Amino acid sequence: MPTQIGIGFSEALNPEQAAQEAAFQSKTNLNADRIDLAIALCTVHYQPEQTIPILQKILNNSNLIGCSTAGIIMPYAIKNQGIAVITLSSDDMKIGIGSVNNINALNTREEGVALAIDCLNDFGKHGRQISLFLIDSLIENNSLFLKGLQEVWGDIFPIVGAGTCDDFHFQNTFQIFNDQTLHHSAIGIILGGHMQIGIGARHGWKPLGKPRTITKAEGNLIKEIEGKKASNLYYEYFGEEAKNMTMSKLGTLAILYPLGIYIEGNEEFLLRNAVNILDDGSIVCQGDVSAGSQVHLMIGNKASCKQAAYDAALEAQKNLLGKLPNIIIVIESMARLKLLGRTAFEEVSAIREVFGPNIPVIGLYSNGEICPMKTAEETFKRPLIQNGTIVVLALG
Amino acid sequence: MLNIPTYILFFAGFVFFIFLGIIAFLFIGKNDELNQSRETVEKMKKSFQALDDQAKLIVQTDLELNKAQEALDKRFAGLDALQKTSRLISTSLEENEIFRRLDQSLMAELGFEKNLILVYDDNNQLNCRVHIGFSQEDTKYIAMNLQKEDDLVSAIKEGNTFSSINSPLSRREIIVRIFSVENFVLTPILTQHGCIGYVFVGNRSNAEPITEGDEELISILANQVGQSLDNAHLFSEVFRSRQELESKVKDRTKELEGALAEVKNISKTKSEFISAVSHELRTPLTSIKGYASILMTGKLGEVPEAVKDRLGKINIHSDNLVKLINDLLDISRIESGKVEMNFGRSNIGNIVENVHDLLTPQLRDKNIQWEAIIDPKTPETLLDSSQIERVFINLVGNATKFTPSGGKITVKVEFDNSVIKAEVTDTGIGMKEEDMAKLFSEFYRVDNQINQTVKGTGLGLALAKKIVEAHQGKMGVTSKVNVGTTFYFSLPIKQYFEKEK
Repeated sequence: MPTQIGIGFSEALNPEQAAQEAAFQSKTNLNADRIDLAIALCTVHYQPEQTIPILQKILNNSNLIGCSTAGIIMPYAIKNQGIAVITLSSDDMKIGIGSVNNINALNTREEGVALAIDCLNDFGKHGRQISLFLIDSLIENNSLFLKGLQEVWGDIFPIVGAGTCDDFHFQNTFQIFNDQTLHHSAIGIILGGHMQIGIGARHGWKPLGKPRTITKAEGNLIKEIEGKKASNLYYEYFGEEAKNMTMSKLGTLAILYPLGIYIEGNEEFLLRNAVNILDDGSIVCQGDVSAGSQVHLMIGNKASCKQAAYDAALEAQKNLLGKLPNIIIVIESMARLKLLGRTAFEEVSAIREVFGPNIPVIGLYSNGEICPMKTAEETFKRPLIQNGTIVVLALG
Repeated sequence: MLNIPTYILFFAGFVFFIFLGIIAFLFIGKNDELNQSRETVEKMKKSFQALDDQAKLIVQTDLELNKAQEALDKRFAGLDALQKTSRLISTSLEENEIFRRLDQSLMAELGFEKNLILVYDDNNQLNCRVHIGFSQEDTKYIAMNLQKEDDLVSAIKEGNTFSSINSPLSRREIIVRIFSVENFVLTPILTQHGCIGYVFVGNRSNAEPITEGDEELISILANQVGQSLDNAHLFSEVFRSRQELESKVKDRTKELEGALAEVKNISKTKSEFISAVSHELRTPLTSIKGYASILMTGKLGEVPEAVKDRLGKINIHSDNLVKLINDLLDISRIESGKVEMNFGRSNIGNIVENVHDLLTPQLRDKNIQWEAIIDPKTPETLLDSSQIERVFINLVGNATKFTPSGGKITVKVEFDNSVIKAEVTDTGIGMKEEDMAKLFSEFYRVDNQINQTVKGTGLGLALAKKIVEAHQGKMGVTSKVNVGTTFYFSLPIKQYFEKEK
């Protein structure tokens, strides 16, 4: 049996009804005897405790993973409310899943190791092709978690990930693993067997103003820039208004203007969102930052975002070596949703322009994206944490 | 005299001075270059700084643009949602359906996290009709506590909208305490009968603050809800009135049907009675007329002149009585449907001509002018020519009777839209309105001088009308005293063609 995919969606207000409609539609569209994996993408309007039992029941208690998101990317529209269910059935593809719950901030790396091992145990001894993971974006330093995963899966093994988010409130995220609703957790999938994958990632943000040097940094903390408090950078650019802002408001602004770190030989800057600003003025980023790096404030617009989506799709298509994908999964920064507003669907149109109208496109908005990137010094692409990025994952 | 070492020393000193000179020369040159480089670096620094300052301006402008774009998007989406919601609720005329539709559309379309619609019931208690983002318990708590805030409720009932951006602090604190939402709009639902409830929307955190646009949007929505509820109530009242009216009409119709059935029954009994009596009368009358004729012949002996005269009168009166009985019989037969019209293809112009021929002596006697205007488009049609001739004879006879000498009778036949319309107009004495109303009743005779001297049965017009009705036509009259009278009747021809087919 070749790989079969079913997609279902509902935006009914009643959570049970929405879960039932989305799951049933997906199962019907799958048209297979067996469901090997189901992925549920939910906006925060639905309590997972109400939807999971329905999803599980209709999807025959098959492997179910999922998360909350700021919006769902559908082939025909961007939906700010609803539940989408992707079901997958394949004899060619091998799947392994795992989870770690209540990630301890002090042992983030170890939690990454644990997830990687959990997934591998479930996957068994097959040829691995790619791994995906969904991690709560409220966990501030995902770099250590990624390092933990790489310790087990290998440095250059392709990993694609998403920081699960909510509706820009930065407080209501959740993850789904089979019958459990998880918080502060991560879920992983390993895919392998006879399959073809294509990954492309771009952000399209451009540097603005003069470069500044990070003079003091520690892990994911930027303590000083040019010898001054790191937070001064935002106050300088955003003006007086920023000083009176609450963190959540500043966070919303900061995702529109991420920090860009110059990487020698790379086409694009490495983006870092400020997830928090500490009392001492340190900027907390979602990924590690090194002292001595050159940093810029970055800016993007609708045209650059659309172009980035197109370029990412082209790159993913190139990696497929001429094979047609079964599905395109898009992991896209919620910053882009904020920036593009009502025109957000234009990015999907750009992707469909590359792959054609018959390949289903589905995806989620995230706060933090993980995707392989190639730098000048390295021969292979290594998974890195990015922000403001669109990741196009083509599975064939 | 200088020795060799002195020379060497002198030479070395000379070389050293030259070297110093070169060094000094080079140093001066380098120093210039250094100064120039320093200036360039300084200039570059300034340019960078200028660029950075420009970048700051760009960011701040971009920030403003983003905010404006976001506000515009929100406004656009809100208006779009408002339009959809308005359309949804305005197409329903049922209160529960209006709230059901609001429930479906509000959250998804307007984009507020918390939505609440509270409406007063007949006991003046607030009931929750729509709640999104609030639990059932929350809504009970809110309804109960809101009613306790008399000042706030009075202010809202006066038509004031309160929001997190425009309310006085004291009012804002009360609303936040009751609804547990920092960013909100609370507005009344106003109908023709005043404030009937409230619409509340809100967002939990400052990430989604309320704007003046939201305030306007929700006020418009509340007005729409009020108007839709007004329409629903109005419709409900009209519907109820209509049902009552229909019920009354049904009752009256039933009563009338009963009365009509009774009238029909009476009419039938009357017709049967007339028919029976007429038959019973006709037999002895025939005998009387027969015996009178035998007596008049003198076969039974010489009849004196005086007796002959009386027998003649018996004969005339018997004929009148037979005619009266025949008319009565015809009427009763037509009414009871026992007489079938003998339809045949006829030319109504010919009928009029026959009637003219028949009545020419009377017309001539009274010196009455005759005019017949026959529409040449009038087609041949299916009708009982003898009965229609009878109608014309009756009408022209009457006209002759009531038209003074030197008057005029006009017979007009028109064809219009599948109907033949015939009129008999005279320049006679005319009649009053009240007489016209009773004219077609059996045995009714208009009380005038002519009728007092000229005998008649009062059955002629009744019979003529019955004949026309048997042809699916209608008969009527218009008249003006001392000006004249017009009798008119219609004969639809389509049905005859159908009958012919």
